[in-house]
Amino acid sequence: MPIANHHSSVPVIVDEDKCIADKGCTVCIDVCPLDVLWINEETGKAHMKYDECWYCMPCEADCPTDAVTVNIPYLLR
Amino acid sequence: MKTYDDPELQAIAVKLTSEDPGIRRVAVMDLVDSGEPEAVELVIQALNDPDTNVRQEAAKVVDEFEAADMADALIAALSDNDEVVRNSAAHALADLKDPAAAAPLLEALESSTDGFVVSGILRALKPLRNPGSQRPALKRLGDEDPRVRREAVAVIGWLKQPENLPALVETAQHDKDPEVRRAATGALVYASPQQVGQALIALLKDEHWQVRCEAANSIGKLDHQEAVQALMESTRDELWQVREKAVDALGKLGSTDAIPVLGECSKDAMSNLRKAAIGALGTIAHSDGRPFVVTALDDPDPDVRKLARWAISKLDAAA
Amino acid sequence: MKINDIPVIETDVLVIGGGTAGPMAAVTAKEQDPGLNVMLLEKANVKRSGAISMGMDGLNNAVVPGHATPEQYVKEITIANDGIVHQPALMAYATRSFPMIEKLDSWGVHFQKDETGDYDMKKVHHLGTYVLPMPEGHNVKKILYRRLRRNRVQIENRYTATRLLKDPDGKIAGMIGVNTRTAEPIIIRAKAVIMATGAAGRLGLPTSGYLFGTYENPANNGDGHAMAYHAGADLANLECFQVNPLLKDYNGPACAYVTGPLGGFTANAFGERFIECDYWSGQMMLEFFKELESGTGPVFLKLDHLAEETIQEIETVLHTNERPTRGRFHEGRDVNYRQRMVEMHISEVGFCSGHSASGVWTDETGATTVPGLYCAGDMASVAHNYMLGAFVYGQICGESAVEFVKSRSEPELDEDFIIRELERIQAPMKRADGIPPEQMEYKVRRLVNDYLQPPKVTKKMEIGLERILAVREDVPQLCARDPHELLRAMEVQSIIDCAEMAARASLYRTESRWGLYHYRVDFPDQDDGEWFYHSRLFKDEDGQMASGKRPIADYLVSLGEEKDAYRKMRVQKAANE
Repeated sequence: MPIANHHSSVPVIVDEDKCIADKGCTVCIDVCPLDVLWINEETGKAHMKYDECWYCMPCEADCPTDAVTVNIPYLLR
Repeated sequence: MKTYDDPELQAIAVKLTSEDPGIRRVAVMDLVDSGEPEAVELVIQALNDPDTNVRQEAAKVVDEFEAADMADALIAALSDNDEVVRNSAAHALADLKDPAAAAPLLEALESSTDGFVVSGILRALKPLRNPGSQRPALKRLGDEDPRVRREAVAVIGWLKQPENLPALVETAQHDKDPEVRRAATGALVYASPQQVGQALIALLKDEHWQVRCEAANSIGKLDHQEAVQALMESTRDELWQVREKAVDALGKLGSTDAIPVLGECSKDAMSNLRKAAIGALGTIAHSDGRPFVVTALDDPDPDVRKLARWAISKLDAAA
Repeated sequence: MKINDIPVIETDVLVIGGGTAGPMAAVTAKEQDPGLNVMLLEKANVKRSGAISMGMDGLNNAVVPGHATPEQYVKEITIANDGIVHQPALMAYATRSFPMIEKLDSWGVHFQKDETGDYDMKKVHHLGTYVLPMPEGHNVKKILYRRLRRNRVQIENRYTATRLLKDPDGKIAGMIGVNTRTAEPIIIRAKAVIMATGAAGRLGLPTSGYLFGTYENPANNGDGHAMAYHAGADLANLECFQVNPLLKDYNGPACAYVTGPLGGFTANAFGERFIECDYWSGQMMLEFFKELESGTGPVFLKLDHLAEETIQEIETVLHTNERPTRGRFHEGRDVNYRQRMVEMHISEVGFCSGHSASGVWTDETGATTVPGLYCAGDMASVAHNYMLGAFVYGQICGESAVEFVKSRSEPELDEDFIIRELERIQAPMKRADGIPPEQMEYKVRRLVNDYLQPPKVTKKMEIGLERILAVREDVPQLCARDPHELLRAMEVQSIIDCAEMAARASLYRTESRWGLYHYRVDFPDQDDGEWFYHSRLFKDEDGQMASGKRPIADYLVSLGEEKDAYRKMRVQKAANE
């Protein structure tokens, strides 16, 4: 059975100007209980790769530069 | 530069010497994962970093460590020009809970004047219950900063020393700040009713409702029987929250004289108050209260009905 | 030693799950014997994993001297669970409850204290006083992490366990699992294993339709329940589902324990209280459910009668602890506690002993029915354990495991079993096309909602079981494009196991009990003659899922008058009509 990709609006936003993942920071990625934040290979910054969010907030609370914002997923809003 | 046996800690130490404050900052974050006791040294080093962001990061991780030898560095950080650093240091200090930290804290208290710094130190001293904190805390009851006075009250409350009661009573009755008065009113519960009873009764008339609630609460905890009349008056307070606490206290005091006013409260429009009144009548368990309880068996609010059924069982048992 | 070129890691005590109970178990094992190797394996990262990743706003079941006694607590929980409890396990919790609070306090966990430094207990229930607020309880995980490092527990993050390993003589021997980022398998030989993998919270589908918008942390998807089952451990009372009141759509707790002592309450559309039941129980949930469906529904959290200062206090606690995005959710809908009531609903179903009573059968020593395997927290069968119970049972398991290890010989590994399990783990990534885990998960969880969610109907549950088994047939088609999807592919297999267990356990108990949790419309009455037992669910000798009864151990505390007092606080015969 072939597989199709579909878009999804993801709840976690990373401000790339503030993100210091390129300095070696992986805090948001480390603390995510669902492992949905990853480094974007193109920019070297963190981003939400999988739309599997519990909107629990450690990524935002622990980010040293306030680069991360957790929104409520659209379906719940 | 000192070298460390643990390779991970060594790598962090190297990164902390980087020219780039961003890399130093990330290095500080990595310290959290180190189980090495020596990691504390590097945290202290970072607390003195020239870059504000690095210091902030260090202040954020201090509570991941629990060494009393960090107390000095934390106290110094209370005077940092950055608010985030100051705040984190104050919180970390309060969590130290190490008796050995008392001496440096007291020393720092002596020489501190900034309200934020002083209240941070007092907060840290409070759980240590060190007798040496009594004198400076009493002195700070007269501080002009309400945050300081509030923490001073807490230090004194936790010490539970009878000789401090006059000062606490004075603060409870006359401090300008309602939160300070409320805290002092709550702290009076380590006294005997003879020592603070009159003051607590007067506090039932405080202009701020939260102080009045606290006074009723403290009277209940102290079982101050002579306060029945005053509490009965408080069951007509303009705020239901105060009425509720007064009713609770009357229940604790077991006062049969209060049954008629409790009966009135059991018909109040606010269900939380009706609930408290029926609870109190059940606790008192005197037959005079039975008619009110029986009526409450049909109250529209199920919590009131539940308590009425429970109160009936108390009345039956007492009969 | 290597199997299929994979080095076997050796440890004395292995803890699976780094949330609440797990870290406590690991730290305790080290405290008992610092010479032991203790490894803590976590699917996410122990810094922020599990149910309390953002802290906890209060204890619901603190048994503090002067406010409640262990005997009274045991009585109340027994009654709240309609008698189906293992009292020795409740008593073990109750007697250790206060020492654990003291221990956590000395570690720096913030409990609310009065102005003289005494614990500031709040009375929420009518009989005993068990609530201890933690308005500054956001640092619990930090403190646990600190303790883990200080005691030199070896931490392995981002590994999910997939199967437990056993000796030929039936004792636990370790586990096999996989790295969630690299898909590299891991084999661990251990002399004792403590499982603390949390609730099975990804069983039902939330009403929002968002797979991960669950009441429980969705990382808690029932891996432990499935692994225990496959290892031959007994599970107990799985039909006693967890269903919780929550903020609608947000799906986070409404926190009656936070707002109750401050005067807030659960109300119907007219702002009136309606809950008759006193203790958090299935009975209470049934009343909630009925109100939701009634003409006076739906249900709300009412705070708009409180003073400004009180509302600010509530906001501070609710918006900084446990589920801090609550404030953001309300903001998005323009809901202000001061002005209007907040709509509530009930959660999807799950297995969680924190609030109900189902899970891997665990006795008062934390032992399961597999020698050397211990279990703590939301996945263990000790009723109404909440966070403090997870800590206490983590401690008990840590002690028991250390004791077990003392006389334990070197475990022998079953290489054939391991090789077969490696094949199962690697299969989804070897398939180029097939069914993505997300689709399979949606399907099986939707079936749970359609057929197993109470009120339960026999014929519906039979159809549900048939459909769930049909999804199981599709497992060989599961495909994963990367290690992350592989994690989800392994998880969905646990979810399917849990769904089948939920169906079979619910069909087995032909009575209604625990209010809404096991409300069978066609068996509306509680039948103590036939069903005053724990139900068992286990893998039989033929590898089939089987059910049975386990007698209730003699009560340590008889219910006596209190039973009547409690009954008086219930609506008569409210239950199943």
